[in-house]
Amino acid sequence: MSAAAADTGAHERIMAEAERIKALGEAAEREARDPVNQPTINNWLEAMGNTNPRWQAGEAPPSMAQVWTMYGLGGKPPADDPLHGMMKVLTDEGYTAVLGTNCEQEYRRTLRVGEQVRVTTALDSVVGPKRTGMGEGYFVTSRNTWYVDGSESDAEVVATMLFRVLKFIPRGAAS
Amino acid sequence: MTTSTLPLTVGDTIPTWEVPITPTLVVSTAISTRDFQDVHHDRDIAQAAGSKDIFVNILTSTALVERYVTDWAHQRTGHWDTEVRGIAIRLGAPAYPYDTLSFTGSVESVEDGVATLTVTGSVSLGDHVIGTVKVAV
Repeated sequence: MSAAAADTGAHERIMAEAERIKALGEAAEREARDPVNQPTINNWLEAMGNTNPRWQAGEAPPSMAQVWTMYGLGGKPPADDPLHGMMKVLTDEGYTAVLGTNCEQEYRRTLRVGEQVRVTTALDSVVGPKRTGMGEGYFVTSRNTWYVDGSESDAEVVATMLFRVLKFIPRGAAS
Repeated sequence: MTTSTLPLTVGDTIPTWEVPITPTLVVSTAISTRDFQDVHHDRDIAQAAGSKDIFVNILTSTALVERYVTDWAHQRTGHWDTEVRGIAIRLGAPAYPYDTLSFTGSVESVEDGVATLTVTGSVSLGDHVIGTVKVAV
């Protein structure tokens, strides 16, 4: 058995916390710092070498959905953030390393310059412990949902993302 | 019936696109995606964390996959109207500076007005990204 599994209570504690955090549903709602804006799009276009003229005519590239709600320099997740909450649980149990493994984004429509975006985070699943090439770990999947609030309509989902990380004990780490 | 704006056939291949990875590319793309994690701009910290060097962040891997497909659609159709509905990627080997990220792709399926393209981005260490892109046709 692995080092972590030697602590027979660890898995039960991890899964109990996973259930508690999953039950929070969509939480830790955050507003984008800025509305969708052309200067931020332009910086991205230059860096990516993307010359699509649509992105200079009022629309934002679909894969920038996540950019609008990034924490920024020095930004911290709110205390009730489900993903970071689950990360802390695993870190405290010795699963200190993290590696992004999957990112699945769906776009309902392109965002337009001037729109204000907000995002929620939910814990989707925690699976493990698994032995991987990196070491023993848990796969943690979170789900983000981006919204735009219409002036007359209800909140509109504009994009979603499933994001999976492996939270693991690096191979060779002292037990 | 509406006329398809992006004529695709299952098995069509997307020409290879090679992206030279430079420190400037890694840093400028990370910052432009508002990702300030130090492993994407500070080599000393990246190496202290056990990495060979700084490496491309996930938002950029997704953005380059998006560009690969939409640039090709533009070459194919002469317009930029292709609507990307989703990008799902699995991450593998890191993309480090002084390596080359080579994209290849093909049309996997076309049904109900949506084409699914498979895309792989490889570096010298192996596959950096494997994924699918869904576009409206």
